[in-house]
Amino acid sequence: MKEKKSVIFFRYALLTIGVILSCLPMIYMISTSLRPNGALYEYPPRFFPKLQDVTVENYQYIISQNKFYINFFNSVIVSVSTVALAAIISSGLAFVIARFQFPGRKVLFGFIIITMIIPGTTLIVPQFELAVKLKVVNKLWGLIPFYTAWVIPFSTFMIKGFMENIPDEIIEAATIDGADIFTVFFRIAIPLSTPAIASVSIFNFLTAWEEYPWANTVINDNAIRTLPIAIAGFFGQHQFTQWGYVFAMSALSLIPVILVFILFQKYFVTGLTAGSVKG
Amino acid sequence: MKTKSNKNKIQIFLLLLPGLAVFCFFTVYPIIKLFLMSFSKWDFTSMRQQEFIGLQNYREVLADKFFWTSFTNTIVYTLVTVPLQMILGLFVAILVNGIKKFQVTFRVLNYLPVITSWVIASLIFRYVFNTEGLLNYFLSQVLHVTASNIRWLDSRWSGLTVAMILGIWKGIGWNMVIFLAALQQVPIDLYEAAAIDGCNGIQKFFKITLPGIKGTILFVWVMLTIGGFNVFTSIKMITGGNPAHQTDTILTWMYYKAFSTGKFGYSAAVSFIMAFTLGIMAIFQFKAMRNRDRELEEIG
Repeated sequence: MKEKKSVIFFRYALLTIGVILSCLPMIYMISTSLRPNGALYEYPPRFFPKLQDVTVENYQYIISQNKFYINFFNSVIVSVSTVALAAIISSGLAFVIARFQFPGRKVLFGFIIITMIIPGTTLIVPQFELAVKLKVVNKLWGLIPFYTAWVIPFSTFMIKGFMENIPDEIIEAATIDGADIFTVFFRIAIPLSTPAIASVSIFNFLTAWEEYPWANTVINDNAIRTLPIAIAGFFGQHQFTQWGYVFAMSALSLIPVILVFILFQKYFVTGLTAGSVKG
Repeated sequence: MKTKSNKNKIQIFLLLLPGLAVFCFFTVYPIIKLFLMSFSKWDFTSMRQQEFIGLQNYREVLADKFFWTSFTNTIVYTLVTVPLQMILGLFVAILVNGIKKFQVTFRVLNYLPVITSWVIASLIFRYVFNTEGLLNYFLSQVLHVTASNIRWLDSRWSGLTVAMILGIWKGIGWNMVIFLAALQQVPIDLYEAAAIDGCNGIQKFFKITLPGIKGTILFVWVMLTIGGFNVFTSIKMITGGNPAHQTDTILTWMYYKAFSTGKFGYSAAVSFIMAFTLGIMAIFQFKAMRNRDRELEEIG
């Protein structure tokens, strides 16, 4: 079917406008981070700094501070731990639910689905009480198990779908050769589910990397802050917010996210659409 | 697979155990705790000595005008942001689906707002909508539509509007990716048959595209409604609930009562009312979709 050139041109034009609107706030953030800190409420305000004013002094200030590396490192520890724990725990759960019959299987899976629907923040009060009891307030261990618990339902749901589709013959052949359950799990189920595990891992990484409400509740000390609360803290610190610093730090904290996004783009789409199209 | 041998049974149990433990301890236990808390006098100062007070927390919440303000704000936020995100996301998806070159580029660039963290996106919006910010300058000095700087973040509806614009801006990309995948599942021969029957683009959209992606629409609708009720970080960063809690949403109000005034029992009741409302809405959404199906079949 041939379409008119004008129709196609119109589509590209609309899409280009859309993309500009999508990216505008980010561009403004970067342009603000590149101008002298004193001139942030300059009059008249400008979208782009004057060329002779462009400076990297905000970035220099941020990376000259020990705090930044500590915050960054904390975020890395928390995100990587969450991703690793969630991947192994959810795979085990998904494997057993997908491949075996046991009493309470349906109830368990139903419960997992229901908890996917409850927004995480509604549980913040009893979870805080739990964190106090476990004495993990103001510790990175106050974040990792909670984040892991949050992402387990969705991860299990996704990986289970994949593990159900592993052909029975492969597993039977291995069993006849004398493989036990662990061997089947580690040697067959996990390798064959890599795409699902990879895509949930990306989402789990982003969730842990950007999480704010819980971290802000549990963590107080500067030395234990993750990046989102460090950025938010920067913003609340002074009467006059140092927007240049805030945005320089924001831009730096977005680098790993954008890298992950670009490198694993393929898995992104698999993960996003797996749950939605079936219905 | 055979599970007869004891060794296999033990291994299955060991694979299940960590998941069950984390799930029960960090998710199921807090849910039960939340339920109990909502019926107890439970203050920050008296975390060890709670007493059962029946429905008192619920009565207090339902009589609180601040709660109702936050409730209304959340409903308005959801009613405005959910349909707009869906319509714009579907529109972009249809456009991207209709082009051949640069499909991936447009998809990636449109997805950027989704991966920007809520904290950072909220701070950018706050900066742009600041009284001395870029938007006011643009409106008053460039376009000359306003006489003086408007204090966007200092009043209920304009503050909420900023949060809603942020929510829509940040959500379109997700909608686009999901709808794009759904559009690619609609059989092409249906469109070809419709073209032979002389259907125009708009007829095709309503007769083929929309029915074809119905399941996805329901999925997105339910997910976005949950997301709308979950709005928290943007409000906290952009208005902080100000002025005088006029821009609080259910969760920011719940959070304020718990962690600024120490009333955990009250907050637990708020959380439960919210979960209950979401549950009712999900049932309603599924019913509404099913009824529409039936109507379509009858017209058929």
